[in-house]
Amino acid sequence: MRNLLLIVVVSLLAGCVSMSKVDSGEQKIGDRMSVTLDGPWNRINAPGLGPAEIWTMEGMPVDQLLIYSGIKNEQIVHAARTGTGAPKNFAFRSNMLPDDIAAMFEGMLTRDGSRYKLEKLEPVTFGGVKGLRFEYSLTRKIDSVLLIGVGYAAVSKGELFSILYAAPKLTFYPRHIARVEQITKSARIKE
Amino acid sequence: MNRRVILAAGCLCAAWLACGSAFAQKEKEWAAPPRFVRPEIATDEGGLWSMMDREETRLRRSPFSIRDPALHDYVQDIACRLAGEHCADVRVHLVHTPLFNASMSPNGMMQVWTGLMLRVDNEAQLAAVLGHEIGHYLSRHTLERLRDIKSRSAFGQFLGLFGLVGAVGQLAVLASAFAYSRDQEREADRIGLILMRQAGYDPLEASKVWRNLQLELKARPDGDPSRTNPMFASHPASEERQQTLKTLAEAAPGGSAFEERWKEKLTPFMRGWLADEVKRGQHEESIALFTRMIAYAPTRPEFFCARADSYRTRGKGEDWKAAQSDYDAAISIGGEPAETHRGLAAIYRQRKQLPEARASFQRYLELAPDAPDAAMIKSYIEESGT
Repeated sequence: MRNLLLIVVVSLLAGCVSMSKVDSGEQKIGDRMSVTLDGPWNRINAPGLGPAEIWTMEGMPVDQLLIYSGIKNEQIVHAARTGTGAPKNFAFRSNMLPDDIAAMFEGMLTRDGSRYKLEKLEPVTFGGVKGLRFEYSLTRKIDSVLLIGVGYAAVSKGELFSILYAAPKLTFYPRHIARVEQITKSARIKE
Repeated sequence: MNRRVILAAGCLCAAWLACGSAFAQKEKEWAAPPRFVRPEIATDEGGLWSMMDREETRLRRSPFSIRDPALHDYVQDIACRLAGEHCADVRVHLVHTPLFNASMSPNGMMQVWTGLMLRVDNEAQLAAVLGHEIGHYLSRHTLERLRDIKSRSAFGQFLGLFGLVGAVGQLAVLASAFAYSRDQEREADRIGLILMRQAGYDPLEASKVWRNLQLELKARPDGDPSRTNPMFASHPASEERQQTLKTLAEAAPGGSAFEERWKEKLTPFMRGWLADEVKRGQHEESIALFTRMIAYAPTRPEFFCARADSYRTRGKGEDWKAAQSDYDAAISIGGEPAETHRGLAAIYRQRKQLPEARASFQRYLELAPDAPDAAMIKSYIEESGT
């Protein structure tokens, strides 16, 4: 999480970050997934952010909607850092069980030392495919803010499709969670 | 035996004796300074204390701070026994971070991370690290660093731009950013051993801390501890340090490790800290750590379960076999964590051994009916049929 913020801040200073509007209606994400929005979102565009699309309602430090579409076997699910002393990279493997997928995202979200607690993990249908839904709390290392998060994921033809949303427990998560749940319900994965 | 070998052995013996006797002499000579008085705010030391006070206020409110009174009082008591007359000035803060580290600030704030408490085998080993940090405190090494930086003219000119108050603040930031010198580290080691011995701890345990940590960090694929661990950034090479500490301790043996008391106080927290370690995803380091812990305490099922989880999540080649063997070992010892059965079930499931997977998932739910993943586990059981 901190790395992501750092990349955005550095890119912003370098003039490489841009924000674009995501309009209401159907939106195609990658080659095989689509979602339907009942209101606009902001998409963050910057180099080196990793394989997920990043959307936000309030701005990057506040809330983030990560959308993964067609993540391949062994593909890293975050902006990777390499070299001595770099934190561990977390990659998707197509033979992962649902709780392995939740654990992979836990690893990704705690690379900066943030504290994660799984609150619930259950089977659901996501994008028309059998998948998982998990809820978590995350105490962010950088500022000790308590976030609440929800994640949906499914594996289709060996590829990962997922939507994760996290925002501060106070005010912001309750403000936007209904819209996020609407997006996850609208998700369709092309078989 | 050839003459050179005899000569070399003789020299080594002489060096060892000289080192040991020198230490004994220095121990007699060394005396802790009187308690420190809070410095004036307008001084460099006052600025440093002030900055650390603010950091301590932040730490008190931090959700990463562990607020278990029994554990806190236990560690505070260890620090107090080491600090002697300075006990009243030492304030321990336990911090939930799964890395090996402890630190002490000039204002008496001591931080002890959970990754350190996971890694030490007994009370004496924790006392070795805390004694070392108290050694820095008693020698006012942070202030020495601050003044060393201040004396560098280039820095002085730069800092003059901020005015006096700004300069003190900037110096404090710089001082905290710079590591202790290796001489300061050696001095802190020496004082730490003296404090250990005075408090009744076996000083031989000090060298084992560094030996153990070195073994673990060498297991990393990148293999350079100084790049990956805050405690190694400035410290003397661990082999040298381990040997020096061992030699000094052997010169005046005695004291206890207080292993049983450590185990009793720490057991309630171990499973959570083991899980934190596994989740770091540094599997090679974690497997080396758990292997050492199993060798030290081969009847603790949670250590086997943690190593199994590391093997299973690493998932290289035939790691599943090592994981299965460790899960089985944890179960045969008894009193295993519920997660042992979930891990074992996951292996069976991936290997299409569905009846075994089903039985293990069921056992997991029996032991942890309110687990956050209970709904998912029930779906696995249904999928695996009757």
